[in-house]
Amino acid sequence: MPSDEDFDPHVLAEDAFIEEVQSFQFWFGAVEGYLTGQSYGHDPGMADPPLDETQRERLITTLCNYCVGETAALEGASGLVSLAPNHPAKIFMATQVVDEARHLEVFLRRLNDLGVEDTTTEIVRRANPALTEFKDALMQLVAAGDWDAAVFAQNVILETMEFTVFRSHAQNADPMTAEILEGVISDERRHFGFGENDLGRRLAHDPEGRARLRDVRRDLDGLVLGVFEGALADLEVPAADRHVLGRDYLETVERLGLTQ
Amino acid sequence: MTTSDASTSEVAPDKPRRQYDLDETGFNEVPKKWRKFYRHWGGPGDKLGRNEVVCPVCKIVIRSARELRPGDKVYCMPCMSRMIVVEGPDDHFIAEVIF
Repeated sequence: MPSDEDFDPHVLAEDAFIEEVQSFQFWFGAVEGYLTGQSYGHDPGMADPPLDETQRERLITTLCNYCVGETAALEGASGLVSLAPNHPAKIFMATQVVDEARHLEVFLRRLNDLGVEDTTTEIVRRANPALTEFKDALMQLVAAGDWDAAVFAQNVILETMEFTVFRSHAQNADPMTAEILEGVISDERRHFGFGENDLGRRLAHDPEGRARLRDVRRDLDGLVLGVFEGALADLEVPAADRHVLGRDYLETVERLGLTQ
Repeated sequence: MTTSDASTSEVAPDKPRRQYDLDETGFNEVPKKWRKFYRHWGGPGDKLGRNEVVCPVCKIVIRSARELRPGDKVYCMPCMSRMIVVEGPDDHFIAEVIF
């Protein structure tokens, strides 16, 4: 039987660590831990008591906007596979494509559970304009072949926002939605972690690249604020508490040296 | 898989490091063989051991099979971050991300 020392992750060489955590092999072992036995992101035997009409309406709006965000990440990550600058990043981005497609699927299925049949129409009708605009901006960065800016928009901004909003929502959601969110949150850790660390390494010796991403951040910050405000209002988070929830994003941009 | 002395402290130890037997605590977001090296953080009231540090990126507790010392490098597999251990307030370590 191997000892702890044989499996100690902290003694890995840096390149070996990156190759390990960005691999499909790692991804299989990770999702096996929290998705095995689930059906569309939850225990198939879980009870799902009906919500009152106000709660149902509010949840449908929230889930529709989650679908917009997940579609943005799915399409963005798909495009980023071809832009990735090395094999580990390419392979990681492919795992993210799979994650994002799963997220979209479980949220669509949850909308079906709530009685929404035409999800496409309902999502368009309820989408936060700031989120739709953010998605368009992300897709423009991907189409321009700008890996750094697109990873910043997608894996740092969008994924950090989703992680923050999903965690807040999971604390107060009905049990089935909460379980679905917990699985998604576990995936998001990989996504925003990849973004921060990939960019951090690339920007460490690239002051011009850092200055350019500060401009990208400045351009997107208005949309980010609009998306955050909309999502947190839908979740009925008191206005006084919302600044606390933006802290993860602000800490991330500070670590990356992207503050003004 | 290659290894290095990435976790070797840059600070000269004045006494042998305490060893820890790690058990799984229910954290399941990494492959089985790595799970005991991580656990969920219970928030500010969660007392960290001398072999533990909170990842500032994803807020998971990173665990080591030996006592940590300032200057040690540790990895957070759940969010792919690398960090260096520094002495923090209240007799516990904090981690700073390195790129």
